[in-house]
Amino acid sequence: MPYLKRSPWIIHYDGTSCNGCDIEVLASLTPKYDVERLGVINTGNPKHADILLITGCINDQNREVVQNIYEQMPDPKVVIAVGICAGSGGIFWNCYNVLGGVNKVLPVDVYVPGCAARPESIIDGVVKSLKILENKKHKLVAMSSGEESLTIEMADIEDAVEILSLQKLTYQSEAELYNDYTMPPLTETLDELKEDFKTITFFKAVMNGVIIGSVRGMVKDGTCYIYRRIVHPMYQNLGIGKKLMNHIESYFGSASRFEVITGHKSKRNINFYQRLGYKMFKCEKINDKRHRVYLEKLNDKDVK
Amino acid sequence: MKTFLMVMAYVILAPLAGAVLSGLDRKLTARMQARVGPPVLQPLYDVLKLLQKENLVVRRSQNFYVMFFLIFIIFTGGLFFAGKDLLIVIFALTLAEIFFVLGGYKASSPYSIIGSQRAMIQMMAYEPVIILSAVGMYMVTRSFYITDIVSFGKPLFYYLPGILVTFIYILAMKFSKSPFDLAYSHHGHQELVKGMTTEFSGRALAMIEVAHWYENILMLAFVWLFFSNNIFTGAALTLGVYFFTILVDNSFARVRWEMALISSWLVWLLFGVGNIIFLFFVLR
Repeated sequence: MPYLKRSPWIIHYDGTSCNGCDIEVLASLTPKYDVERLGVINTGNPKHADILLITGCINDQNREVVQNIYEQMPDPKVVIAVGICAGSGGIFWNCYNVLGGVNKVLPVDVYVPGCAARPESIIDGVVKSLKILENKKHKLVAMSSGEESLTIEMADIEDAVEILSLQKLTYQSEAELYNDYTMPPLTETLDELKEDFKTITFFKAVMNGVIIGSVRGMVKDGTCYIYRRIVHPMYQNLGIGKKLMNHIESYFGSASRFEVITGHKSKRNINFYQRLGYKMFKCEKINDKRHRVYLEKLNDKDVK
Repeated sequence: MKTFLMVMAYVILAPLAGAVLSGLDRKLTARMQARVGPPVLQPLYDVLKLLQKENLVVRRSQNFYVMFFLIFIIFTGGLFFAGKDLLIVIFALTLAEIFFVLGGYKASSPYSIIGSQRAMIQMMAYEPVIILSAVGMYMVTRSFYITDIVSFGKPLFYYLPGILVTFIYILAMKFSKSPFDLAYSHHGHQELVKGMTTEFSGRALAMIEVAHWYENILMLAFVWLFFSNNIFTGAALTLGVYFFTILVDNSFARVRWEMALISSWLVWLLFGVGNIIFLFFVLR
């Protein structure tokens, strides 16, 4: 039964907002607009909340806070970016001290435009997010019920949104490992990812209509470069990553050599690739926190 | 057989009645603030939603304590509606509350620990009142058994007006309403986030809500004992008391914990003990 949409509990976080949008969010609670008639409660507690409502843009100081709040919310959950600052950075776009909109760190489900966003449009945004919330619940149920319907196929540009949000979710554990939340997979924007579709081939692992894993690769000078093998945290250790690797290796079967990259602390990834026959050949320092490890495998099928 | 039916009726109907009462509370509160307010069944929707959410825990054992809180509240209400000894009901209720406080401590977040500490301060404030009520009812009816108290025949509040006043005074603590919603507020206040329930989510939070419904019905049944000579006027007066607590909830701001503790002790020392002393001389 759709009870999620009957009782959406909100946590409101003020990023770097000028308080214009914040006042309007609070105005939605007043007698004139009264969102409680829709069952909405402003909880102030991430563990009770279903909807994360963010006003203002993301900077280096609140990035970890926003991420922390998001991680503390129980699934299913949605993120609403209220106001243009939260949407894209607004007038602070490209400022040296501002990263940009909320989608720089979290998968945003609904954007509420406006400067400041009117209470009516904020309520509209919340109502719109309720459908997404219900959909997410169905996906979660679908993902945990059927495991046999896994298919791996090529992804197209319409899957970019879903792949990006999966990428941000999956790389959380890596970011925690290195204590580095600025690694490219987490800061990548949708436009950058869509740009990649022109040069890189994307594959997706689909289970019951939901993308739960992805890998991408390209061939250059006879070498196949494989990047960003991601599997939803709930589906790790089920062999999906291995299936993705087998699929991309046979797709680029003409390449004479495969190359993968991972971090020096990601022991499980290194073990995984070594089990598939990859050998480490280079280790390069990127910054104080992270070294990049290169692994290669010669295509022995070619020799036969 | 009648006892069994009463207990079963409590176990099955109390959460529904509690949900509707709490929904009416939210509706009335909204009307008092010139708002439309949520549907009357909103608390039920909230709990059904919570059952669909992920259950995040700091420590797994915190849910264990919450489960015992629910079980002991149901057990206490069962004893009450079976017409058993009032004293054992009071001690079983205290035990249930202690399990909830332990759950709050176990979650080991600063918010839930402050909430738990305040819950214990509140227990210091209201436990004497509940025990005094039992003593007063014993002095009038010469029995601690609820069956005997109910079949006494005359309305108890004729004899125990002072104790009824103190009981209504501490009801705000039991219902977690203003001015005494120190440990946990049933509204969306944000000062202490959500007190003891801060670290609970999903099914555990749903269990806490359901336990509160059971507890509210139990406390209202306790109020009903004061008017128990006639079942209908008794029920009407009990609902009147409930309405009064909602009115107070919307009229007063939250007080500090010192104020809650000292004022409730003053009230029960003055009205409660005064009532008992008066009865001692009148009924001897």
